[in-house]
Amino acid sequence: MAQQFAMVIDAAKCIDCKGCVAACKVANEVPEGQFRNWIKPTDVPVRPGPSNGTAKFQPGACMHCENPTCVAACPTGATYRDEETGIVVIDEALCIGCGNCIPACPYDARYRNAVTRKADKCNYCPERRAAGLPPACVDTCPTKARVFGDINDPQSAAGILFRKNKERLARVAAKTDTKPNMYYIGDPGPGAWGREAVVPASMVAMKESAPFIKGIVALSGLGVLAMLGRQLFAGSGSDHKEDTDA
Amino acid sequence: MSRRDFFRASGLVAAGAVGGPALLGGLKKARAASPAKPAWDSRFSVCDICFNKCGLIARVEDGVVKKLDPNPKFLKSRGMLCARGNAGIAQVYDPDRLKHPLLRKGARGEGKWQRIPWDEALDMAAQKMVEVREKYTSCGHLFTAGTDLHTQFVSRFAEVYGSFNVTSHESLCLVSGSRAFLDTFGEVPFADVLNSKYIMMVGANRFEALVTPDSIDLMTAIHENGCKLVTLDPRYTKTAALSHEWYPVRPGTDMAFMLALAHVIINENLYDPQWVEEKTFGIEQLTAHVQPYTPGFAAEQCGIPAEDIARMARELAAAAPASMVYPGRRTSDYEDSTQIRRSFAIVNGLLGNWDKPGGLLAARQVGLKGVPYDAPWYDENQEDRIDAGKVPMMFEHEGSFLVTRDSVLADDPYPIRGWFVYKTNPMGTAPNRKKTIEMMNKMDFVTVVDIAMSDTAWMADLVLPSQSYLERTDPCSGLQGSVACACVVKRDPVIEPLYESRPLFDIMKGIASRMDLGEFFDFTIEEYREMQTREIPEALGVMDRDGVYYNPSKVYGIYDGRIYKTLSKKVELYNQRYEQMGLDPLPNYTPPAGPPKNQFRMVIGRNAMITQTSTANNALLHEFVPGNTLWLNTESAANLGIADGDLVEVASPVGRQELKAEVTDKIRPDTVFMLSGYNTLSTMQSLSHGNGASINELLDDDYDAITGNASMHTTFVTVTRKVA
Repeated sequence: MAQQFAMVIDAAKCIDCKGCVAACKVANEVPEGQFRNWIKPTDVPVRPGPSNGTAKFQPGACMHCENPTCVAACPTGATYRDEETGIVVIDEALCIGCGNCIPACPYDARYRNAVTRKADKCNYCPERRAAGLPPACVDTCPTKARVFGDINDPQSAAGILFRKNKERLARVAAKTDTKPNMYYIGDPGPGAWGREAVVPASMVAMKESAPFIKGIVALSGLGVLAMLGRQLFAGSGSDHKEDTDA
Repeated sequence: MSRRDFFRASGLVAAGAVGGPALLGGLKKARAASPAKPAWDSRFSVCDICFNKCGLIARVEDGVVKKLDPNPKFLKSRGMLCARGNAGIAQVYDPDRLKHPLLRKGARGEGKWQRIPWDEALDMAAQKMVEVREKYTSCGHLFTAGTDLHTQFVSRFAEVYGSFNVTSHESLCLVSGSRAFLDTFGEVPFADVLNSKYIMMVGANRFEALVTPDSIDLMTAIHENGCKLVTLDPRYTKTAALSHEWYPVRPGTDMAFMLALAHVIINENLYDPQWVEEKTFGIEQLTAHVQPYTPGFAAEQCGIPAEDIARMARELAAAAPASMVYPGRRTSDYEDSTQIRRSFAIVNGLLGNWDKPGGLLAARQVGLKGVPYDAPWYDENQEDRIDAGKVPMMFEHEGSFLVTRDSVLADDPYPIRGWFVYKTNPMGTAPNRKKTIEMMNKMDFVTVVDIAMSDTAWMADLVLPSQSYLERTDPCSGLQGSVACACVVKRDPVIEPLYESRPLFDIMKGIASRMDLGEFFDFTIEEYREMQTREIPEALGVMDRDGVYYNPSKVYGIYDGRIYKTLSKKVELYNQRYEQMGLDPLPNYTPPAGPPKNQFRMVIGRNAMITQTSTANNALLHEFVPGNTLWLNTESAANLGIADGDLVEVASPVGRQELKAEVTDKIRPDTVFMLSGYNTLSTMQSLSHGNGASINELLDDDYDAITGNASMHTTFVTVTRKVA
């Protein structure tokens, strides 16, 4: 079986210390004001006395989905799902920074990197993994709420947790079901907060008709250049709304 | 053919890259999923962004630290590094760091500086110290040093210079709590959080104010080991949110709660009679003492239902001795804070939560030895510290900063005119900032050694840039990691020192050699470490290999067949020494004055992303905490016509500050809260200067009657909406 790298998270263990977010920012040189990962607090009424026991803080990041809408939204194929590892990858060399993929993620895991001006998101720290280290967020987590690994490998820490808790695993739902590979043990805390994936209609059309219009794809290259031009002249702000109709 | 292959093949990528940042990158056959191993070196060190000293591994590339990772072999910190630890890089490479010695040119605090060479700076520091000694005796010079592995060299210098006046940060933090437990158990305990079955977290916030290993062990205990966690806090902290039960206790009433627990435990015979008979002193007196403190009485005081108080007492007792009233760390809250914490210690003593799994633990053997020296004797000197005899049970080696400050201002009983400060920031941490400014103005000469222009440095005469923790060689330090370990750590440079920074040791050595005191600093740090580890000679090599050395010392049963270091040689529920000194031998509860109408009690506290003033200028942490706000209860805000985000003026008897209101249900209606460290005087702290409010400008400077520890929860404030 192919690998499927994933995170198995116990949200009940998260103390919201932001260690994972800080570690990620340093490890990946994430620009000021931008983030590859997050901790979402549960908005529950403050009540004295016994607790209702629900998880209060939910660690998250790109969920490396089975059906990644971001891949569908990418005009150049820069964003793709790596068959070997199941990781949704951005090939920076191919990314033209058009921003299509940003609203296409129902979990808002993507942003346009203010420095590189390309799409950016969690990639499970490939450099660290090459050095035999876990992703920065996992390594640094005080309570080890985040566990990373190949869930298809029954020997891996993530695989063990995945199997042991099979019955209780939950995913954060979105209006578009992308089949995320981020599993929460038991109560994930904040519920179905994912929104609808917004994929530009032109991209959907192109993808559907792709088998017979490779020539037209070539034409889209011109569009790519146009988008590149727009990216070069556009501000570096994280506001991506202007790109949603591209 | 996928779109990716198509674009790669068609060369459009290369076209796209033209003019873009990756000019050549486009043609490279990049496989983002399997990049090369990073070209970094890994070097051990120990974090210094707070007092915990968590083990870390610095990833260094071309002489630059790229990432700080946790040392997985470091048991005390359970192989973790928090947000602040990760942000150590931002401290080391902070563009606001001090770069070279600076001499004040304008008026004090005006911010006019002249860059001077090191030799001139050290000559001047030494000459001023000599002058102060000639005019005012050695005790006319005050030395203040923060928590640091080089701090022992400040103490050594002060002693050989002849001054008894050394203060630390601890009297703005924890000395009253230490006093209380010392005067009950004969030593300051560690908490076996990991193995506890019932933890009462009162006046502590362990999931935000991180203490290793307690914070991490607390989650393991409640999540994996079936431990129950009860939190009493006027704020709905993250600890409160993650507790099994939380009660927004009325501030200042913790003692009533503890005495009511003791009342139930004693009257319902819930303690182990054999333990109490054999190991404790004063059960008769305690039994009589707690009779008026019924759960009903405590309920009225604390605002917690009486039946819950009684139930919690029974639960705590049922889990004993694997249960605890958590001792806490910062106890600088009320004027009777030693007595408040005595009530915590007494409940633990009564239940025998001591020296056994899940309770409080005695200190373990680390194996490090001191490095002795014979300080010279000065005939012409004062008899004692300036703060001596002003509170009955001060820790001599910590002093009381607030009592010292009052004494300096009054020249009582003698003048102090010189001040040397290393890596602590009383101007930014001591309550009533105006008085600290007055104290500065009283000085002939103030030298500050730090890595940044703190507010204390900002008001000084001479500012010397020290090295950060990643640049210097540090002596060994023994750490107690509760049940996790007793260990030894050291630091070696992981990068070359930045700018002209120097380690404190070199600075002390330089000043000493200019004052004929060079013989007391005639060694290297490496030699010093050899002396420290003379009884554990393998330790240095092990630290080089693992980043830490563990001493396999005994954890439990340390007191089997041993006496306690108290007058009765037992755990003192009733403190005989206090009786002899005219202090309450058992804690007497005095109901706190409530805030007057339309006023609020100000409380202080932490979150996991700040370490008071030392991180307010950290660019990475600034992204998480861009400034401080005033937590104001929703109902109270509505009464005052204040909306979330409104600018408000907060006024106390000693100062006024402005900041934005954060309207929230997470705080009692009679209490307000803000983080410390903001609105610095120093303009060379560009992220915290003019940002938010300074809490120490607002806090009144009361202190604990027994230890002189600051009481930072006794100030009442008014809150008014600022009209734009």
